[in-house]
Amino acid sequence: MTSILRIALPLTLWLAGFSAIYGLHGLLCSSRWAVAGDDLPGRGLLIAAAAVVLVLQVALIGVLRSSIWSASDPVIRHISLGLGVVALVSSVWTLMPVLTVSHCL
Amino acid sequence: MNALRRHRALTRIWASDPGWKGWFTSVNHTDLGRMFLTVATFFFVVGGLLAMLIRAQLATPRSAFLGPDHYNQIFTMHGTIMMFLFAIPFFEGLAVYLLPKLLGTRDLAFPRLTAYGFWCYVFGGGMMIFALLAGLAPDSGWFMYPPLSSTLGAPGINPDFWLIGITFVEISAIAAAVEITVTVLRYRAPGMKLSQMPIFAWYALVTAVMILTGFPPLILGSILLELERAFGLPFFQVAQGGDALLWQHLFWLFGHPEVYIIFLPAAGAISTILPVMARTRLMGYGWIVAAAVSLAVLSFGLWVHHMFTTGIPHMGLAFFSAASTLVAVPTAVQIFAWIGTIAKGRPQLHLPMLWLLAFFATFVIGGLTGVMVAIVPFDWQAHDTYFIVAHLHYVLVGGFVFPMLAALYYWMPHFTGRRTYFKLGPTAFWLVFCGFHGTFLLLHWAGLMGMRRRIDTFDLGQGWELINLIASVSSFVMAIGFALVLVDVAINALVAIRGSRDPWGAGTLEWAMTTPPPAYNFASLPQIGSRDPLYDTPDLPAQLARGEGYLGDPSRNRRETLTIDIASARPRYIVVFPGNTALPVVMSAVTGLFFLGMLLKAYWLVPISALGVIACALHWVWSLGRSRPEGPLPAGRGLSLGTAAEASDPPGWWGSLFLLLADGTFFGSLLFGYAFLWTVAPNWPPASYAEPGFPGALLVLGGAGLTVIGARLSLTVAALGLGLMMAAGVILLTEVPDSVAHAYDATVWVLVGYGLLHQAVCLLMTALVAARQQAGHAPATLYGARRVLRLWCSYTVLTSLVIAAAAGLPGALS
Repeated sequence: MTSILRIALPLTLWLAGFSAIYGLHGLLCSSRWAVAGDDLPGRGLLIAAAAVVLVLQVALIGVLRSSIWSASDPVIRHISLGLGVVALVSSVWTLMPVLTVSHCL
Repeated sequence: MNALRRHRALTRIWASDPGWKGWFTSVNHTDLGRMFLTVATFFFVVGGLLAMLIRAQLATPRSAFLGPDHYNQIFTMHGTIMMFLFAIPFFEGLAVYLLPKLLGTRDLAFPRLTAYGFWCYVFGGGMMIFALLAGLAPDSGWFMYPPLSSTLGAPGINPDFWLIGITFVEISAIAAAVEITVTVLRYRAPGMKLSQMPIFAWYALVTAVMILTGFPPLILGSILLELERAFGLPFFQVAQGGDALLWQHLFWLFGHPEVYIIFLPAAGAISTILPVMARTRLMGYGWIVAAAVSLAVLSFGLWVHHMFTTGIPHMGLAFFSAASTLVAVPTAVQIFAWIGTIAKGRPQLHLPMLWLLAFFATFVIGGLTGVMVAIVPFDWQAHDTYFIVAHLHYVLVGGFVFPMLAALYYWMPHFTGRRTYFKLGPTAFWLVFCGFHGTFLLLHWAGLMGMRRRIDTFDLGQGWELINLIASVSSFVMAIGFALVLVDVAINALVAIRGSRDPWGAGTLEWAMTTPPPAYNFASLPQIGSRDPLYDTPDLPAQLARGEGYLGDPSRNRRETLTIDIASARPRYIVVFPGNTALPVVMSAVTGLFFLGMLLKAYWLVPISALGVIACALHWVWSLGRSRPEGPLPAGRGLSLGTAAEASDPPGWWGSLFLLLADGTFFGSLLFGYAFLWTVAPNWPPASYAEPGFPGALLVLGGAGLTVIGARLSLTVAALGLGLMMAAGVILLTEVPDSVAHAYDATVWVLVGYGLLHQAVCLLMTALVAARQQAGHAPATLYGARRVLRLWCSYTVLTSLVIAAAAGLPGALS
């Protein structure tokens, strides 16, 4: 089962991070957030959340490479490492809007 | 024992009942796979006939061939049938038929579940066809958007057929997905490591996990919409705190992965067939596996691109536009790997290869137009026009139907044991290929010229006349082509001459048996050491027929196969399969009565049929395993293994694990819906929140603790804990007595209902384990069952605590 987890985890982490940040964006743009106060740092929170996702992705690649979680099968190791990189690139690409696009317009 | 005697003995053990009775009592994957494929093809024909009616209507302006009411039913049913009753079941049929053969085992993990899923599909599909014939078919489009599909837009029974019928059919998809997952992970031939699996098995595994996580949001959406339609729970009514957009989120959380659930099995077939046609080995096995996994997971982050025109903020648009462009990358990796395979090999232009080339030509166009609509400004222009209709047909027909036709012609010698002798196939191919592009290529331009999808007619002078006439004529050419394919297949299956065992010279295990395949697949199970065992051990079929593999001795006179360790692929234990039985068809019929009661609002039938389903399920489970341990048994090749009945992780535990994955996704979708309404929907907060207070909290926490402890130590304590949690649920419901007052109240009812259902299931399981103890089952044969119970209790406790927090915290904090 660890082989399957190695393969499933990197992009699942991307999906979880991406969905959470989309949810956070929804909350920040909702009337609920406005009630809580206009001076709350909406974009700052989004950037911080995206940074956390990226750090987690990098850490996961580190774990997948290390001997802490070794794979018995070299093919599975290569696939999971490749997917780790894919997930990191995916996170950078899909979370770039937190820096570049107006958030509640 | 010689090979012929072994064959006769194994056939006697594994064969389905003879004659018509065998149709209803078979649990054999080969027979059920063929039945799935046949019924799915029937639905393809029905969906195709509906498409012809659509094209006949749109051939000329202001056509009076169909009125708008009938037209709405026809296009809704065309989409519904093709997506739910053809594409997914066809994959299920192919996987059910092929997987055990590719993996080197004798059947799928849960043979009776295969049959149950099949009959749910047949009965649910029958319900939809009845609606069509009776003129009561759903007419709100295959996405069923409310308010068009709510009682405001469609007060009749039509949408209920969709919501209830499709949910019934989806039982089949979930059942197939659970057993495909468990089969691929645990039932491979000994020695077949994950990295040595046939590539189709990887795709099937990925697709199955996608079904387990992609279908639950739609099942949830269907239940919520039906609850609104039947009982007034206002999930999609803005005035009462609901939001119609919630449906769109739930639908497309399913709907976009659905596209890849359809494409990935086809990609699996391509990756299997193409190297054989090119007379080489697949290039970039690891890259293709990584691309398939990437495609699968990325597809779950794209759903909002179907909602670009619903007024989403720019950042949300940018998130999903970026993700949508990204998904082209793993698709391209696969395409390039296939092109590389062709370049590396010496391709032969057999009929399957012809269909694969049609796939390339068509799917790449569909993929590129997909990237176009991923770009928000373009999508705003093209949304809901015939450009989208053309795009989705290029993707789905190019990405599924053409590869499946390649698969049909590739594996037909396996299905029938005959050579493809009559040569109608190439003619059919050219008719379908030219007809398809004649139909859909120009429709891109019709869309760009402003032709909206789903219109039942159009006026003269809009510039669409010629395009639509060409499309309609071409569609009939395509239909003639498909009819010729059916004739070709039927003739070749019935009267062509006998063929050889491995006509294509393939290296995968399904060709290591006689064709048509015997009921037991392999006379003995192989030890595998490479991805293409027949290339590396050409004598393997003869060795297996001589009984030189595992379980080659049929003297125990029962259906046996092996399970393995997931990573090392070492044999773990012997599984004893059940024999032929009518229980699955009976249970699915009773399940059908449950859905029929809901559909006809004959609510007295619902609890009766629910009790019937419970009785069938108890009978089903009771017959599993043995009361006394057998100890290690000889498994062949000098190995002795215990049976699954004495294992700590029996197949049922693995099946439960993956069923709970689907269940957890359903629950997560429900929480998402709650959070969405709480955050986005107008008319929140409700007049009051539930405040269960200290007694409720004590009951749920105490119940949870007792359940967790009891599941390990004492069944009585576990039952008490479950009872306390149920009491807490009932107390919570008394806090929100009016489920139709506000979407919050309705959500609490559904959350608590979910919790009560799971607590009741755990109580039943507890009673079953206790009854087995009473009946004298030895502790060794109960260990696996207790672990299954523990798994379900842990899940139930976790979800119950989340439900208590989600429903009670807003009141406690406000």
